[in-house]
Formats: sequence, structure tokens, C-alpha cells
Amino acid sequence: MAAENRHNSGRVRKIVLFCVFSLLVVVTVPLIPYAIDAYAVAGKQASVEKVAALENPAINLWNDVRQRNERTQGLTQVQGVDSGVLINKAGEDWRRFRVEQLVPYGAWFMGGILGAIVLYYLLKGTQMMPGGPTGVRIPRTTLNQRTAHWFTAGVFWLLAVTGLILLYGRFVLIPILGSEGFAVTASACKEMHNLFGPLFILAVVAMFVLFIKGNMYNLGDLKWFAKGGGMFGGHVSAGRFNAGEKTWFWLVIMFGSALCVSGLLLVLAALVPGREVLSLAHMFHGISAVLLIAVSFGHIYLGTVGVEGTLDSMTTGSVDAAWAKAHHDQWYAEMMNDSAAVEAADQEQGSGLVEGGVAKPGQAPGV
Amino acid sequence: MFEQLVDGILWDIALVIFFVGILWRIIDVLRRGTRRDLSVPRNSGVPGAIMANIRGFFPRREIAPRVRMKVIAGYMFHLGLLILLFFAAPHVKFIAEHITGFSWAAMPYWAFIVTAQVAFAGLILLWIHRLLHPVTRLISRRDDHVGAILVFLVMLTGCMALAEISSELRVFHRFTVELLMIYFPFSALMHAIMFVPSRAYSGATFGRRGVNL
Repeated sequence: MAAENRHNSGRVRKIVLFCVFSLLVVVTVPLIPYAIDAYAVAGKQASVEKVAALENPAINLWNDVRQRNERTQGLTQVQGVDSGVLINKAGEDWRRFRVEQLVPYGAWFMGGILGAIVLYYLLKGTQMMPGGPTGVRIPRTTLNQRTAHWFTAGVFWLLAVTGLILLYGRFVLIPILGSEGFAVTASACKEMHNLFGPLFILAVVAMFVLFIKGNMYNLGDLKWFAKGGGMFGGHVSAGRFNAGEKTWFWLVIMFGSALCVSGLLLVLAALVPGREVLSLAHMFHGISAVLLIAVSFGHIYLGTVGVEGTLDSMTTGSVDAAWAKAHHDQWYAEMMNDSAAVEAADQEQGSGLVEGGVAKPGQAPGV
Repeated sequence: MFEQLVDGILWDIALVIFFVGILWRIIDVLRRGTRRDLSVPRNSGVPGAIMANIRGFFPRREIAPRVRMKVIAGYMFHLGLLILLFFAAPHVKFIAEHITGFSWAAMPYWAFIVTAQVAFAGLILLWIHRLLHPVTRLISRRDDHVGAILVFLVMLTGCMALAEISSELRVFHRFTVELLMIYFPFSALMHAIMFVPSRAYSGATFGRRGVNL
């Protein structure tokens, strides 16, 4: 049994190492053209400076057209937003931000977080329940909370995958699918992204309403942060939600809201006054999405392979007493000493069916 | 090649399997007949059948709070899908060109988007509920999940092809529709047709015994 476990664990580590290597290749290869580009641009810059030293009588006009010194607007009979602007600088600024900052830094950030998680897993492995599962179950989430969680997760990942294809497809998918293949893929992804976007608004609202209780910070959370959430050893005391979970909740609400507002502005572009607003919306949308995707890697890791027994909370709605005692000792004590709270939580399960039975006061070992 | 297959022979096969399969299922139900009721009829079965069909659209007061989410999501998905099926502009055009020969007013683009979003939200919520609720999880079979995934794929590929910029996406959507048509008669998706006679049968049986469903 132990030999088999060691064999399996060795296999998992090999697979994870392979994944890290593949990820590094996927993240690094698209960046090579940038390095070549940067080298070429440096060379061009020197020759442009030589030419710029010569006086050109039309240079002021061209500088005005390109909006190089200040924002100038010409006169025209055409009525509309930005109709007097010949070349909109905001569009170029946006393009440069997207291609030169959002795309490479976003890839490095997401890849870095993923790499750190994999490294942590290789070093520490799965955090097991101390003493193993007791079989005593404590109700933790209601059916509505779990439904909202998985609805949000499903919609979020559909939007994340389609969004990442739109952001990185040009660099990653064109070499594989060709230009035409990518055009079709991008069109499909854009339609899906725009269609599912408004569902994410509902999801964020539902998450806020159903999870706000217990997610307000308190002074005890400072200790949790100071000890790094017990990730590097030692026990950290926590209530129903620890400071890490609270932070994830507020990140989802804040960056989720930023994604919703900026996404709506981008979808309803015809109603938005000016390209600057759209550029800003795109910037917020991209940064919020990259941040939320990167942090979600950590959330998924801790909820699945990182900590034994955590996933139960969002699948069955109940957790093992040993898990509760190890990670949320204050909440565990609260539940053990308050039969009314246990019964109320049990009732909240909807059907009252909690797998493995419900913990009653004094039932759990070590109380 | 794949486009020709999907637009040609596969469509014909799917159409035949769909209609023959449904007919076969209906005949099979009728052939089984009804159990002989030896009790003295207290009432006619007809009002019971009608009432059971109407009552089935509303949850019972006693359990309404507990099934609220399921009922709302159910209506969102089923009505949304029905509206999309018969009033989405590409569908109206397709039905007129390939089936009826005449068309009717299609809904505007914005209405299509809103309806699709409502239907998607309903379908996702129902499926999550099926997976999470201990009772529905226990009574769900593979067929229920396959049906839900197929319908989701049909809707998703339909929305992917919305921009109508390539025939590949349209063909992909039609292919998933054909898969659904072939699967439909042999699955629990038949409830789309059988819910009326099924409710009527239960309503009539209990109605004859003087019980209102």
C-alpha cells in the first residue's frame, strides 16, 4: 500500500514537473518575438534621431495630427464623438499598453503564480488532516451557497478561457491553427465571452449576498496574515472563514465588479462617449481578469489537492470534524458547543441530508 | 467533406431517427395500455387529466419555498429554449427554407441575446442543482447528464456561430443539433413531448378515484 502510494506520488511529481516545463515553454516562446522586436526598435531609434535633427516645415502640422504635444481637435461638419480628431492617440496608447505590457506581464504574472504553486506542492505535498478523517461531519455550506459557487466558477472559467484566447491567441494559436483558423476561433470566443459576461454580473451579486456573512475582517485576521496562514508551519487560529478566504472573497467582489462594469462598457461601446473611456475600460478589464485568474489558481489548489478534505465543503456541503478543528478551530468550537447552530446549519442544507451524519455537541473527539 | 456530410446525409438520417424514434416511443407507451381499475369510478377522468396538466405548471404550496430555485431556473431554461428554437432569426430562416416553406416574424438581435442568457443561466443552475442536491444526485442517471450536456453544446455552438462569419461554426452547430436529434427519442429528453400524456394519465387515474392532483 505504502509502496503504491510512493509510486503514485512519484508519478504525480513527474507529471507536475512535466507540466511546469511545458508551462515555461508556453510562456517563454511567445516572448521571443518581443525580444527581437526590442532589439530592432533600438537600432531604428538611432537613425530616426538623425533624421529628426533636419528641419521639416510640415512637422508641426503632423505633430498636431498625431496629437503628440497636446490634444487638438479640428473643425468638421460631421457631428459625433471625436469626429474632429484625425488620428486618435488614445487608440495607439491602448494598443501599445495591450501589446507591450498587458500581454507579456500578464503571462509572466499568471505563469509565475502557477509555477510558485507547483513548486510549493512539490516541496510540501498535500496537507493532510491531522489524525485522519473522523467520519463526524459538520455542515458548512448551504445548497444555495454551493450552487452560487459553482455557477460563478463555471461562468468565470468560460469567460477566462475565451478571454485568454482573445488576448494570447494571436501569439499562441496562430502558429497552430493558422490565421483563418484563429479568426474563426476568435469570433466564436468573442460571441461566447459577450454572451456569458452578463451572467457573471448575476454570479458576483449572488456570491456577495450569500457569502458576505462571516467574511468581514477582524483583528484576529492580522495574526493569520502575520503567520502566513500556517502555510510554512505552525497552527493559526481562525473562525468560519480565515483571512485568506476573506481576502479571496473581497478580491472576487472587487475585481469581479471591475470586470462587470468595464465589460458592460466594452459591450455597449456605441453608448460610451469617447475612445479614452473604452481604452480605460479595456485596461481595467484586462488587469482585473489577469489578477483574478492568477489568484484563482491558488484558490483551486487549496480547495483541491492542496488541503485534504476542503473540497467536501463545496460538494457535499459538510466537512470532517478533523478538518474543521485543524483549519477553523474557533468555528469548530462554536459548532461543537452550540447544538442550535449545528441544527440551524443542518436545516439550511435544504433537505437535511448531510452525508456521514451531523456532528452533535461532545461527539467529536478531542472536544 | 464534413460540411457536405452534415448538411446532407447526416441531416436526413437524424431527421428520420428523430421522427421515427418519437413515433416508436409513443406507440410503445400506447401499446402497453392502462391498468384495469376495478374500483367504482367516483368521477370522470377528463377533468382530472386537464387539472393535472395545469397544476403541473405550478409548485405545490407546501413545498414551494424549497423548490423555488428549481422552478424559476426550470422556467428560465425551458421557455428560453422554446423561444430561441422558434423565434431566433437564423432558425426562422432555416425552418422556412427546409421545412415549412413559409416564415414568421423573428425576434430582434438584442432579444435573442437576452433570451439566450436567460436560457443558459437556467440550464447551468438546473445542472448544478442536479449534481449538488443529495436527492437529485442519487436519482440522476448518465442519460440525464448526457442530455443536459448535449443541449448545452447545441446552445453553445449556436451562440458561437452568431456572427455568421464562417461556415465552419454553422456546420459545427448543425452537427451538434443532429447528434441531439439522434439521441432525443432514446433518452429522458422525451419528456419534452411525453409530459402532457404522462400528467394526463396520472390525473385521470386519480380523478376517477375522486382525488384531485
